[in-house]
Amino acid sequence: MMLGRAALRNVLRHPWLTALAVVGVALGVAVVSAVDLANAAATRAFLLAAETVAGRATHQVVGGPAGLPEELYRTIRIDRHFRACAPVVTGHLQLVAPSGSTTFQLIGVDPFAEPPVRSFSSQFRQQGVLTPLMTRPGAVLMLRQTAAGLKIRVGDRVAAEVAGRRRELSVAGFLEPPDEVAKVGLASLLVADVATAQELFGSPGRLSRIDLVLPEGSDGERQLAELRSALPPGVTVVPAGARAGALDRMTRSFRLNLTALSLLALVVGMFLIYNTMTFSVIRRRRLIGLLRAVGVTRREIFTQVMSEALLIGTAGTVIGLGCGILLGAELTRLVTRTINDLYFVMEVRNAPLLPAALAKGCLLGVLATLAAACPAALEATSAPPRAVLSRSLIEERRRRRVPLACLGGFLLMSLGAAFFSYPAGGIVGGFAGLFAVIIGYAATIPAVLLGASRLLRPAMRRLFGVIGGMSARGVAVSLSRTGVATAAMVVAVSAGIGVSIMVGGFRLTVQHWLENWLQADVYVRSADNGGGRYRPPLDPALVERLSRLPEAGGYTLSRRVRVEGEGGPMEVFSVSVPRESFLRYPFKAGSPAAAVDSFQRGDSVLISEPYAYRNHLRPGDRVTLPTDRGRRAFPVSGIIYDYGSDTGIVIMSRSCYLQNYRDRAVDGMSFYARPQVTPARLAAALRRRGGSAAISVILNAELKSATMTVFDRTFAITGVLRMLTTVVAFVGILSALMAMQVERARELAVLRAVGLTPGQLWGVVCGETALIGVVAGLLALPLGIVEALVLVYVINLRSFGWTMQFSVAPAYLLQAVLLSVVAALLAGVYPSIAMARTSPADALKEEE
Amino acid sequence: MPQALVELRSIAKSFSEGDRERVVFRDASLKIEAGEWLFLLGRSGCGKSTLLNLISGIDLPDDGELLVGQRLLNRLSERERTLFRRREIGFVFQSFNLIPTLTVEENVLLPLELTGELTPALRGRARELLDRVGLSERAASFPDRLSGGEQQRVAVARALVHRPKLVLADEPTGNLDAQTGRQVLDLFRQLVRGTGATLVLVTHSDEVARLADRIVTIVDHRLVETPRPGSAR
Repeated sequence: MMLGRAALRNVLRHPWLTALAVVGVALGVAVVSAVDLANAAATRAFLLAAETVAGRATHQVVGGPAGLPEELYRTIRIDRHFRACAPVVTGHLQLVAPSGSTTFQLIGVDPFAEPPVRSFSSQFRQQGVLTPLMTRPGAVLMLRQTAAGLKIRVGDRVAAEVAGRRRELSVAGFLEPPDEVAKVGLASLLVADVATAQELFGSPGRLSRIDLVLPEGSDGERQLAELRSALPPGVTVVPAGARAGALDRMTRSFRLNLTALSLLALVVGMFLIYNTMTFSVIRRRRLIGLLRAVGVTRREIFTQVMSEALLIGTAGTVIGLGCGILLGAELTRLVTRTINDLYFVMEVRNAPLLPAALAKGCLLGVLATLAAACPAALEATSAPPRAVLSRSLIEERRRRRVPLACLGGFLLMSLGAAFFSYPAGGIVGGFAGLFAVIIGYAATIPAVLLGASRLLRPAMRRLFGVIGGMSARGVAVSLSRTGVATAAMVVAVSAGIGVSIMVGGFRLTVQHWLENWLQADVYVRSADNGGGRYRPPLDPALVERLSRLPEAGGYTLSRRVRVEGEGGPMEVFSVSVPRESFLRYPFKAGSPAAAVDSFQRGDSVLISEPYAYRNHLRPGDRVTLPTDRGRRAFPVSGIIYDYGSDTGIVIMSRSCYLQNYRDRAVDGMSFYARPQVTPARLAAALRRRGGSAAISVILNAELKSATMTVFDRTFAITGVLRMLTTVVAFVGILSALMAMQVERARELAVLRAVGLTPGQLWGVVCGETALIGVVAGLLALPLGIVEALVLVYVINLRSFGWTMQFSVAPAYLLQAVLLSVVAALLAGVYPSIAMARTSPADALKEEE
Repeated sequence: MPQALVELRSIAKSFSEGDRERVVFRDASLKIEAGEWLFLLGRSGCGKSTLLNLISGIDLPDDGELLVGQRLLNRLSERERTLFRRREIGFVFQSFNLIPTLTVEENVLLPLELTGELTPALRGRARELLDRVGLSERAASFPDRLSGGEQQRVAVARALVHRPKLVLADEPTGNLDAQTGRQVLDLFRQLVRGTGATLVLVTHSDEVARLADRIVTIVDHRLVETPRPGSAR
């Protein structure tokens, strides 16, 4: 009890150091739980929406890019007697409010067919919304809470952007979700009658899919087989959960990468806690010695130190969870935006407090604190009473352990390298290897610090005189403190370097790729971007008009669609490309010259690098696609670099697409200017000819810049995490170095008494912290570069299959060293000021 | 009349303790001659250490004038006082106050390092001093591996290595047993008397006080000369 009181008093007696330790834990927990909340919120919102919309459907009948003919629904329902089926027309639109646009999924249903399939849409008659829904033009239903959020009431007319056109919707009533889960799923959903949806999306007579409820067991199997035999070529039946599962898998690597980056912040936080607790023990070596001398057992000392850690860990975790919840809301926005940019359209209205994510944050915070405090607690108990009193013994023991730590570090790094050379380990193996390398490297830092101090001492002495020499020596003689502080700093700074180099290299790669990929002068597409990667088709008459433009020397037509297969959706990009442009395509495997003829004829396709990586394909292999003529295997004539989609795409010529899919639509056109016609003039001519059509006409340079904007936006979340890790690192450095200097108050007071001026004192303290900063900054460089190499050649390759250029910009390295030195100098400022202001007489009076 | 090395003229000094003011000196005056051994006696907490802090320029009087070697300390800046202390004063503390992260030899060299005068000759002097205090064998040891008496001997060597004019010793034998205390005082006699430096020493011990040329006690916040118990000079 009394020991517990002593532990509590120790925590309270050093409020600043305790506060910094708590902040360190809190930041680590905040970052991890925020990323967790954001990931979970996005996944949950997406899966709930998918489940709610799918309802009780067990299977879905899906077709090619143009969907299914309405007659097929009649055939299935009436001719084949599948009563438990419902037609669905679905797409995305944006409600335009004064505060901005909000993306919604619109689902068009047949209210009379709904009851066996979906519960939220089966009560329309009872709710009295059936008539307005079916008779009023543009009538939609939405969730009451969503409407309230957008200040929309029943009967209001709301503007919407649908496929590049401004339309008017009318809110006919509210959806009544049967439970809370359905309410979350319906938050971003608008429901309309099938005919309204067809009219809005410009697909009269076509359905997106047909939902089916089949019985379980052999009866269901029999019905499924019967149904399959009745379907026309190009139409398939897929399990209802397959699509949601596939979409969830799509974002798995992305989410895993975020989680790993957040764990990096926690690792840095753990170093900080380890550092704080080690100081706490070292500072009280005299007290611990006394307690041991009066009969306190080792176990009691251990418990006391661990109780303190628990106190700090709990406080940090509670604060961290609070901050994590706030941060989680912002990260949810970034995660959602990235998923929208890269994968599929979804909307998360809020970040709910998910118990699992919060519990994980709690557990991580407290356990990480205890684990980090354990070595310090063991250190406090492992020495005999007299030895605990001796500071030099601690330092000596540390120095003796340096070679062993170094050896352990090298072993850990080798283990990490083994993880990298074992591809079957996947992303988790890659990150495990990365963490092993980081911790192994950190273990070798005290050795390097000792060497650096010895090497730099003469130079420091020459440059800064006695004070410089003292600073250099101080780093080595206080290895128990400086070693950990420097290691924490190296880990934090290197994380920044690694991520910067990776993102920088990726950016450069994408820029080079765009140079090769985007060859035309001007690009035309629908102005609507509510569908994310997928644009609505351009009006055929407009395509016809634009293709006859005299200023254009040539043009291409393209179409990007998602094809629903049994293994989930896959992206098909079709393009009519001039031969000379094709020859400049960035091939990774195969050659453009060898591939061009078969590609143009429609006898082969190209696949992107991630697609090849994920499906283990090489040129000469075949890729099987569901087409409107049934499943067809296409020979792969080349693998090209593509950084637009990490799930991969299949590229085919337009003629091949038209042969295999009943979809003549064009969603993108690119134009080459005639000689003497500038791209700007060509763009102006296209805009004139486009007239009032909602199209965007973009110059090559503008499109490249817009693509890079999306790229930068995608990495915004990485930037935020990197910044947070840096903040954790900064707090760590501050805490470590401050603790070190505060603990030396009496020593510094003696120096003042024997003649050190306040300026010199400042010099000693800041010289020491600056030296740590420089050494840490320099040591962070190789680790940072290794981290970047691992991120590029192991993690990204295993996650996405991309080849990236590796380029180390000196600016990143310089920036990292500067950050390190500035943080270290700042950390020295407070103790210097405090000591310069304190009378040496007072400091000398204080108990040792 | 011999020149006064230290002169306190109507010094006042008080400390605030919460909302109370604790007066240490009021109108206190004192002259200490060059080469003199002046010992301060008095009960605990009466201000003996404060007087040493004032003479060394670590602390400043609230009122009055304080001259050391013709320099008015009140008028010196913090930096000037520190430089003055560095060159002119050697300090020996009751609790030794060696720098724990410096070896014995480095602790002794520290004042020379600070003055930037660490010549080979002065290094030799440091080694000679260590030899004279009987610790040349322990030159590479860290302070906390030494006994209290050994630590104090190192502190004496550190206080004298730069040949200060004034040595201030705050109960240098207070933490030592009688025999070890005598050894340390012997060192003072051998090393300080030899250089002709002035010694101001705080003590509670009558036995120690016998070594003084003059004894001063603090009575009612003033410095009062007291007869010596006996001289061992």
